[in-house]
Amino acid sequence: MNALYRYRRTRNQVWMALSFISTIIGLGILTLILGGLFWKGISGFHSGLFTQMTPPPGGEGGLLNPIVGSLLMTFIGVLLGAPVGVMAGTYLAEYGDKSALASIVRFINDVLLSAPSIIIGLFVYQVMVAPLGHFSGFAGGVALALIVIPVVVRTTEDMLRLVPVPLREAASSLGMPRSFVIRKVVYRAARTGMVTGILLAVARVSGETAPLMFTALNNQFWSTDLSQPMASLPAVIFQFALSPYKDWQQLAWSGALLITLTVLTLSIVSRALTSSRT
Amino acid sequence: MVPTGVFQVNDTALQATQLKTALTFDKAKAVRGFRLPDATFRIVSRSAAVLVLIILTGVVVSLIHGSIPVFKAMGFEFFTSSSWNPVTERFSAGAAVFGTLVTSAIALLIAVPIGLGIAVFLTEICTPRLRRPIAIAIELLAGIPSIIYGIWGLFFLAPFLQVYVQPSLISAFEGIPILSTLFQGPPYGIGILTAGLVLAVMVLPFITSISRDVFETVPPVLKEAAYGMGCTTWEVVKNIVIPYTKSGVVGGIMLALGRALGETMAVTFVIGNAHKISGSLLAPGTSISANIANEFTEAVGDIYTSALIALGLILFVITFIVIALARLLLMRLNLRAGT
Amino acid sequence: MTENKNIVEKISIKKLDFYYGNSRALKQVTLPLYQNMVTAFIGPSGCGKSTLLRVLNRMYDLYPNQHAEGEVLFEGENILVPGLDLNLLRARIGMVFQKPTPFPMTIYENISFGIKLYESLPKSEMDGRVEDSLRRAAIWDEVKDKLGQSGLSLSGGQQQRLCIARTVAIRPDVILFDEPCSALDPISTAKIEELIDELKSEYTIVIVTHNMQQAARVSEKTAFMYLGELIEFDDTSKMFTSPGDKRTQDYITGRFG
Repeated sequence: MNALYRYRRTRNQVWMALSFISTIIGLGILTLILGGLFWKGISGFHSGLFTQMTPPPGGEGGLLNPIVGSLLMTFIGVLLGAPVGVMAGTYLAEYGDKSALASIVRFINDVLLSAPSIIIGLFVYQVMVAPLGHFSGFAGGVALALIVIPVVVRTTEDMLRLVPVPLREAASSLGMPRSFVIRKVVYRAARTGMVTGILLAVARVSGETAPLMFTALNNQFWSTDLSQPMASLPAVIFQFALSPYKDWQQLAWSGALLITLTVLTLSIVSRALTSSRT
Repeated sequence: MVPTGVFQVNDTALQATQLKTALTFDKAKAVRGFRLPDATFRIVSRSAAVLVLIILTGVVVSLIHGSIPVFKAMGFEFFTSSSWNPVTERFSAGAAVFGTLVTSAIALLIAVPIGLGIAVFLTEICTPRLRRPIAIAIELLAGIPSIIYGIWGLFFLAPFLQVYVQPSLISAFEGIPILSTLFQGPPYGIGILTAGLVLAVMVLPFITSISRDVFETVPPVLKEAAYGMGCTTWEVVKNIVIPYTKSGVVGGIMLALGRALGETMAVTFVIGNAHKISGSLLAPGTSISANIANEFTEAVGDIYTSALIALGLILFVITFIVIALARLLLMRLNLRAGT
Repeated sequence: MTENKNIVEKISIKKLDFYYGNSRALKQVTLPLYQNMVTAFIGPSGCGKSTLLRVLNRMYDLYPNQHAEGEVLFEGENILVPGLDLNLLRARIGMVFQKPTPFPMTIYENISFGIKLYESLPKSEMDGRVEDSLRRAAIWDEVKDKLGQSGLSLSGGQQQRLCIARTVAIRPDVILFDEPCSALDPISTAKIEELIDELKSEYTIVIVTHNMQQAARVSEKTAFMYLGELIEFDDTSKMFTSPGDKRTQDYITGRFG
């Protein structure tokens, strides 16, 4: 009995040690990544980063055009994608519920949520870029919208389901039709959660590279023309990081840090929003 | 905001009745006005849901449509060979599929045990005070775009592996069958192994946070009962937590696999972009997504483009199956948690 | 209790059956509800009293697999017929719920919101209607200085009176109360009961309660339900002094429930 007990205790200690070591390894590597990113990225931060265009190899420059391009395309993506996502999420939570259509849409949405984003790039290339004959910032925005939609559908449905049933019944008992109940009462109650969902979608698309490569392509120059190829931070990072030029590599690091800071800020803000509510 | 009127609540019964009759009529009119906006809203929301279906259908149709030229030109050889020659327009998916599968396998072999270890640490061992910060940090890391992992892999991990790790791996396994094949050739730094490692780092936060979530679905009473019998933490994890959450954990791992299979940016930087199947993990290779990302905009000719789209189709089919299975498993867990 | 007033049968429930899926929750319930009176539904939990209440404004229609058979005549019109405009029905038969359900908006908007559904009033008239409704629900003095604050900032009892004001604001004919005091403290409960007593001069009131003292205090008529059946319906004073049925007596004297 004593021997068995000692064996069990030792075995437990070994496994728990392994679990602890995993945590150290995992957190260590992730710290290394963030540390490396900050170290490399910050050294490239200078005032010109936000005011100058991407330079030719060996030249001085900043990231103004890709920053503006990313903002523009993200804006289009959210503008097109969020309303569709909110409405589809509303259907799943409020109208469809357990119907066959809702179950299929829910499943398909989950698939889209995890589908490789490069596929979305290929799809938009096929239906927009190839027929029109040129890459464009608008096509990039559409590709991002297709990534925004499943994220927003999912969070909208989840958030609407958290709204208590009695609140809906109370609104119905005033004689409000279903759509009024949803728009005026349920949306209000779920507002923070729905905004969070959209913020998370922005965070998700702000680092997306693959869907932009075949749609917006890239642009060395200043352009806000949505019918022309458009620069974006991820695309510039990709191009510059793989180049042999030190200045370009440095800009790639600074861009990477910018994206990371944006994503972290968005995640933290959305987290704060949801936790302050409960 | 404060109203200024004066009110008296003393209608006689007669006045009240008359008032109500008039009101009922007005209400009927108002209620008729609800119908159009109500129906419109319902139809719009339903259409948005249908649009989600249309998008997926569109993706599938456009991929199949785009793949037809290369399937016509290459026939079944597209799936069986590993040649990729833009000059002679001979394309096949072998090398890319091989690279995708091998890098993903390496990633899961490394990330699953570590991720589960961290999840166990967070749910069973860690002091409550540290639990939340670590969990939040890991969730934040899960949201970092993959291009960050790619650029880190290229500038930090690859040189480190090239100088410190790969040479010793090569010499350590020299002469041992199989292992010497797996770790042979010059240490390039970049290659299949490096890509697998970067993928592992990328999916690690993901696996951790999903596993932690499913571990937390275990009812505390179950664990308390086991601890009450004198079980050790490991015994509780092995006999209660893991069996209870099995389908959820597997579902989470499959989702991570889906990510790893389709990941583009983390891989493209470090895989080396060589269209060949090599026995050595240190050799450069390619993956489906890296192949598409590197060559799509430069592809000339219908067949070349079509070959890349066909690669996309293969990737989609593989990930669809993996994700669908993952979702089914997670759904089963949710059903049980719901009852 | 004055028995000589003009008694009008506002709602007549006739041979009502109700089903959740295949399980029958109400069995052949027949019951009149009188104007300007408070009718209480009592009975042990699961007896169908809340279900019966939710038939009256067809709240069950929000859910699939629930349906009613029989007749419920509201001013002579059967409200169970398919195709009936439920919004209009609910505008005329208001409901107050077990837990207070203020909408996530300001106190003022909680009231004005319902009014706006049916009437477009200029600001000054709307202000008047809001004040009037809050006065009728005996909460005006407590909230008049903070109409712009969220309805959720009020205490539970105040929230419940806000919900009553909201219901009164759209001027229904009938008000249904579904255990309105079960989540409230005794002082708030007393206020609500007082309020119900005042409201009956203008409305037909139905209240579901598991508190027999409450039923005795506020109602003129009481219906005792058990296992989906209406066991007894009579004047409250008679029900609580000399019930006609053994089961009613057992319940009232606390032998089960």
